[in-house]
Amino acid sequence: MRDFELLRPESAAEASQMLHRHGEESRLLAGGTALLLALRQRLLSPPYVVYLGGVRGLDKISFVEGEGLRIGALTRIADVADHPLVRKHCPMLASMAGQVANPQVRSMATLGGNLCYGDPASDPPTCLIALGASVQVTGTGGDRVIALEDFFTDYYETALAPADIVTEIRVPAFANDASGLYSRFVKTRAEHRPLVGVAIVVRHEGAACRWRRRAVGASTPIPGRLPRAETFLRGKEVSAAVLEEMADIAADEARPVSDFRGTEEFRRDMIRVVVRRLAADVFGIETH
Amino acid sequence: VKTNELIENAMKDIIGTSVLQVGAREKVLGAAQYVADMKVSGMLEGKVLRSTHPHARIVDIDTSRARALRGVKAVVTGADTPEHLFGFLHKEYRILAAGKVRYAGEEVAAVAAINDEIAMDALDLIRVEYEPLPAVFDPEEALRTGAPEVHEGTGNLAREIRISRGDVEEGFARSVAVHEATYDMPYQYHGYMEPMGTIASMDASGRLTIWAPTQSVFFTRQIVAEALGIPQTNVRVIQTVIGGAFGGKLTEDMNTPLTAFLALKTRRPVRILNNRLEDFLAARSSMPARVTLKMGLARDGEILAKDSIVIADNGAYNNLTLEQVLVTAFRTDSLHRLKNVRAHARLAYTNKIPSGTFRAFGTQQMAFPVDSHLTMLAEMIGMDPVDVHLRNAIRTGETSVHGWYMGSCGLSECLEKSRDGIGWTQKHGRRLGTATRKRGVGIGSGIHVTANRQIADWDGSTILLKVNLDGRITLTTGESDLGQGSNTVLSQICAKEMGIPVDHVTVNMPDTDTAPISFGSVASRVTILAGNAVIQASREARKKLLDVAGQKLETSPDDLTIEDGRIHVMGVPDMGMTMGDAARAAMFRAGGEGILVKATYDAPTTMADKKTYFGNVAPAYSFAATTAEVEVDTETGQVLLLDCFVADDCGKALNPLAVEGQVHGATAQGIGWALYENFEFEDGRLVNGNFADYTMATADSLPMLRDAIVESIEPNGPYGAKGASETAMVSVAGAIGNAVYDAVGVRITSLPITPPKVLAALKRKAEVDKQHGADARETPDA
Repeated sequence: MRDFELLRPESAAEASQMLHRHGEESRLLAGGTALLLALRQRLLSPPYVVYLGGVRGLDKISFVEGEGLRIGALTRIADVADHPLVRKHCPMLASMAGQVANPQVRSMATLGGNLCYGDPASDPPTCLIALGASVQVTGTGGDRVIALEDFFTDYYETALAPADIVTEIRVPAFANDASGLYSRFVKTRAEHRPLVGVAIVVRHEGAACRWRRRAVGASTPIPGRLPRAETFLRGKEVSAAVLEEMADIAADEARPVSDFRGTEEFRRDMIRVVVRRLAADVFGIETH
Repeated sequence: VKTNELIENAMKDIIGTSVLQVGAREKVLGAAQYVADMKVSGMLEGKVLRSTHPHARIVDIDTSRARALRGVKAVVTGADTPEHLFGFLHKEYRILAAGKVRYAGEEVAAVAAINDEIAMDALDLIRVEYEPLPAVFDPEEALRTGAPEVHEGTGNLAREIRISRGDVEEGFARSVAVHEATYDMPYQYHGYMEPMGTIASMDASGRLTIWAPTQSVFFTRQIVAEALGIPQTNVRVIQTVIGGAFGGKLTEDMNTPLTAFLALKTRRPVRILNNRLEDFLAARSSMPARVTLKMGLARDGEILAKDSIVIADNGAYNNLTLEQVLVTAFRTDSLHRLKNVRAHARLAYTNKIPSGTFRAFGTQQMAFPVDSHLTMLAEMIGMDPVDVHLRNAIRTGETSVHGWYMGSCGLSECLEKSRDGIGWTQKHGRRLGTATRKRGVGIGSGIHVTANRQIADWDGSTILLKVNLDGRITLTTGESDLGQGSNTVLSQICAKEMGIPVDHVTVNMPDTDTAPISFGSVASRVTILAGNAVIQASREARKKLLDVAGQKLETSPDDLTIEDGRIHVMGVPDMGMTMGDAARAAMFRAGGEGILVKATYDAPTTMADKKTYFGNVAPAYSFAATTAEVEVDTETGQVLLLDCFVADDCGKALNPLAVEGQVHGATAQGIGWALYENFEFEDGRLVNGNFADYTMATADSLPMLRDAIVESIEPNGPYGAKGASETAMVSVAGAIGNAVYDAVGVRITSLPITPPKVLAALKRKAEVDKQHGADARETPDA
């Protein structure tokens, strides 16, 4: 690791100014689980590292009635998993957070850092897109909100401008008739990075599906929704056969990559299985 | 077991009870000093530039900018290194690549600088111009006429072995079931916690001192002296605390010779520490092999013939793989009462990372095929696979087809214990589980040598025992404790023989200047060879102490005993003296001397015949059997290992805690090989050489391992003990592959058994079942 100067801003605005001042010569440090690896391997050698750890108030979680959860960007993934408000108002998110990577990573990595890194083989982006989450951003151009669906642009790339800082993740409240689940697929238990991640959020109308939002990630350059599968299910009386057909549509419309971790064909097969099984769990239907 | 209990055990009968490992406390507290913790005054840090090409001519190396960098003390390339070739068995190495590179990762240049950062900056400034050459990656292709040659004039053939005993054709002719299949076994990285590292320092007289976590200080000394062209005696090798080795810190990688060369060039202490990414490229991982196996069975399950063709992947350079390929070709034959065997084994050079020594030393590469075969053949004749194993298992007092005499053999008991331990009869062939999650059980068996008269016509160990003036003991040995617990076991043996507490014995860290010449920790040899030497030395020292005490106490030494570190007249505890009193009495008298005993044990074995490989090479043979229970997800191909039971015949468990540690460790490594680990290459370059993408078995991915220790009491062993560190590795993969077969009826013949392979095989099976309208068990693997 090359030497760098560690800058310690006290506010997000100050951090943003530092990033603005040093431009490409600076990097933002939150939990460090991604950045430190890159620094140690010299994939990155920024002269300035802006450390957010001293910024107060960015690790708070609150729930606003009628609006939803507000999760500070510096909240550790493990704290997302354990927090009573998250467990109460969005158990799907808490459960996902409890499965990310491994205990060591969950105890250091932050939710905001995870999103900003844009690693395609990760769980939170997929889950949060299906939840309709957005991020609050502070930058030199002022504050704004970006829907997570528009946030990820390519492998390790996001819609953030160079001096932008994500300060908060906002997760809309669940409607009374809504439910949702996230499922991560790892090939073997020795792996810590998901090969496929699927999230499903639906609103029930009796046995029928009134509304749904779903996302597939980890196998694709950026996590995305599957509009054909979503449309297919809307208003339908849900049955095992319907879910099977929906899973086929989902597998067909996904665009998985192919690499040494999994071929396109295998990933597509797994998307089909995971989507079907997860949807069956969401709707409480027995499948084979 | 609680720590207090362990300490109490150490005070009681120390043989056969669990004793806390010597050095465990230092390791747990983070106080052990590894080579990465050490600093020598004026020490430089070395860094290595590695080839990015699998096969290329080195056209030019420009080091001028690196040399000019402030803080850089030396930049060396192949042109600077001695021109003679060296190597442990076969002379074909240069310290740095000269002329051409033969694999992506090969050492091309090295830098010594005042710190790590400058050394790495200097590497970035070295410009290497390569002219890529056609490369060959598959060992079978490498052996075809016209394939690119890794070493000119070799035809890429590093070693060829033919073994034939009995009449294989006649055996097949009599068989009622004959099965043939081809199996592929991959590389496996040792994955020790401590990557390799060395410190080397040359003094003004040209004498070199090396600190390294080596399994054999004398092998390291031999290699370094040869590489630099200096006398062995001018090289002093001191072993540092080893953070795991598993065969990977032996003779073969270039870390130590290169560090020594930089120390010679700079005349300053130099350290090279591999980081993890480098270590994946630099280490000599387990030898990949392709085995085509044909076996025939009689109606009653007797194996009538075994015929095998082995093509092993040497990678770019020779190592002890030259010996391992022989092990692959014939070692598992001694598991069974075979009469007709034939093997043709070839070791091929390829433009990949050189493979090398790994726990179980090539045995597992044949055990997986044989165990898979025995289950298939059992099904063909309608017999339980465990019964087929039992029908053929070699027994105590028998001599195997290759001349190996079984002074003790607990194989049958291992098979029965592992069968019962997993609940075999309630589970095998039942396909328990749900519609999409099927359960199955499988069995595998293993053999390993305890020591091996292979390197030279001596397979022994020498111990120096010093009685200190406080009556405590120092043992000096060249055998290495690499975490397996040999220092603990040697201390136990000495304590037992001398009648003193185990913590009154200290075992020196191996140092070539002071230790008796030895081979070090290879082939599970230390407990049996050094252990027997410690018994002899301890008895002699005890006699000397009792003789002196007898004179002082004016009684016959025969009437004296030692208990808990004190000498006294038998039955009269008050009449006696301390061990320290006796040690001082021995020395402080006219013509006296401190008690220093030397003892050597050389195993009663013979070297194998050079042409036929026949001969009893080891004083003992260890056995193991493993059963596994898996659950296979038929929609994803995932294999969940639910349970694993290992029975290990180690002769006698001198320290059951250590035996269990070794058995569990070997099993975990075997599970990794069977299910999780593999090298992924793209155009000859390793693409998953990191712990995120190379997925070793984690705690999450292992069941709670269960085991039974089988004590067959080896006549040659100290108190009946034989090797316990490697055997369990051998029997794991076959058990898991067979369990998958039992669960879903697909036979995976290439490791690791991954979900895509299982799923593809299930799809093919579904096609076949559809055509035949039945459950066709046998499905060829892709």
